[in-house]
Amino acid sequence: MPIDTDTQAMAGQACTADHLPISDLDIENRKDFQTQDGQVVLVGSRSASSGTMAFPQKEFCPETGARDMEQITFGPQGTLYSFSTIHISATRETPYTIGYVDFENGLRVLAHVRSQGTLTCDQPVILQADDSAWWVSPVGDVA
Amino acid sequence: MTRATVIGAAMIPMGKYPKSSYAGLGAPAAMNAILSSGIDPATIDSVVCGHAFGGMLTAQRITKEIGLGAVPMLNVDNACSGGATAIHLAASRIQSGQSDAVLVIGVDKLTQFGGGTLPLVAEDPEVQNGMVMPALYAMRAKRFLHERDETVDILAAVSVKARKHGAQNPFAQFQSEVTAEAVLASRPIADPLTLFQCCPTGDGAAALVIVSEHRRKALGARGMAVAASVLHSGKATTGFRHMLRPEITYHSAADAYEAAGIGADDLDMVELHDAFTIAELVYYEALGLCPEGDAADFLRSGATGYGGQVVVNPSGGLIAKGHPVGASGVAQAVEAFWHLTGQAGVRQIEAAQTAMTHVTGGGIAGMDHGACTIHIFEAVQ
Repeated sequence: MPIDTDTQAMAGQACTADHLPISDLDIENRKDFQTQDGQVVLVGSRSASSGTMAFPQKEFCPETGARDMEQITFGPQGTLYSFSTIHISATRETPYTIGYVDFENGLRVLAHVRSQGTLTCDQPVILQADDSAWWVSPVGDVA
Repeated sequence: MTRATVIGAAMIPMGKYPKSSYAGLGAPAAMNAILSSGIDPATIDSVVCGHAFGGMLTAQRITKEIGLGAVPMLNVDNACSGGATAIHLAASRIQSGQSDAVLVIGVDKLTQFGGGTLPLVAEDPEVQNGMVMPALYAMRAKRFLHERDETVDILAAVSVKARKHGAQNPFAQFQSEVTAEAVLASRPIADPLTLFQCCPTGDGAAALVIVSEHRRKALGARGMAVAASVLHSGKATTGFRHMLRPEITYHSAADAYEAAGIGADDLDMVELHDAFTIAELVYYEALGLCPEGDAADFLRSGATGYGGQVVVNPSGGLIAKGHPVGASGVAQAVEAFWHLTGQAGVRQIEAAQTAMTHVTGGGIAGMDHGACTIHIFEAVQ
């Protein structure tokens, strides 16, 4: 039989919630966006200790590893940093346009871009959504 | 050459986690290993990650979640020896003076394949002809029963011991005991191996922090020193191979004992590669724990259980703890760390000072195994 000991620090015996893996592929249950006062915002997280923010939501602070992430929302306004229209894909309907959007809180997010006209770098964009998806469009397209 | 010492260790409980990515599996293990070591993460100067099925940049995908970056990160596959190979590389970096503090991660996610036997490389002619890992071990088992005049009862006894040990391990995939009858009545996988004689499919991650002697002293940390770190590769042959005498493990063990300056009698515990029941019996002899020909009697005598000559697989081994292939070599070292630092709780091996970990990596034609890694660790106060 295993031998009992008096040692207090029993890392090999203590399997707590902090030892469990993160269910980061549970995308169906992950909330990335919501509508607030008629405006679409993204749902991310911020470390209570370091203030570091992340999108999508994370379990660990991506700067310090602290496990103290709290939910935040941000948007709807952002700036289109750069973008591209993709014409080949084995899995998606083409063409589609994606771009990096910088938000006022400093977060950069890869977004689908839906536009009526010509896009340019540094163009102001705004978050849009339907029941299942979110994207950005130029402010001028929406107004 | 400076000494390399493991000062922190952690793992996630092994199991089936289809909703976790490699980062989701690896980050908690890595962070908990860092926390257990007491080291400032900013002073970790390199990362080595062992895996078999993680895809590109596995180390970076995990460590970016906990704020590590910029430093060199090495990703290494060596099939089931991937994690242990990562330890080998980390120890080499420290012993050669290249690194002062290395984070080692072993990780794999087998649920991504949806069950069944481990997917082997389809380019291999034996794989094209139906070879799967259970078949290789089943042929070993057939040969063992034939040459040693034993019955399947001795195979079942390996599972019974593994599951008894695993029942005391909260990080094991199976935490319940089984009877020999239940082992033999479980469904056939590759005759004579039944389901409960095979390691389960699962996911897992384990991590270590290994430092130089200078850094260990500065931190005032206890731990376990790397007394031997041996990595061998298989040598293919087109002719006869003695399936009860896997040369790669014999040679690796001899080199490990020589490097550590000890013998098998000095070991308090061994975590060996019991991917299937027969493997444990074959490795008793290959690792020199008992004389050749004595494996069955050695097991029956209780020599490899608690209170015996050397506790083999106190964690429950791959059969009970689980075998997410690239994670296993590191998970074995985590178990050794807990015993050598007195943190193993109810399954603590009394006054454990010296441990061996052993993993192979199989799956190609003409070889016992493609890779074999053996470590010997010694407690450092």
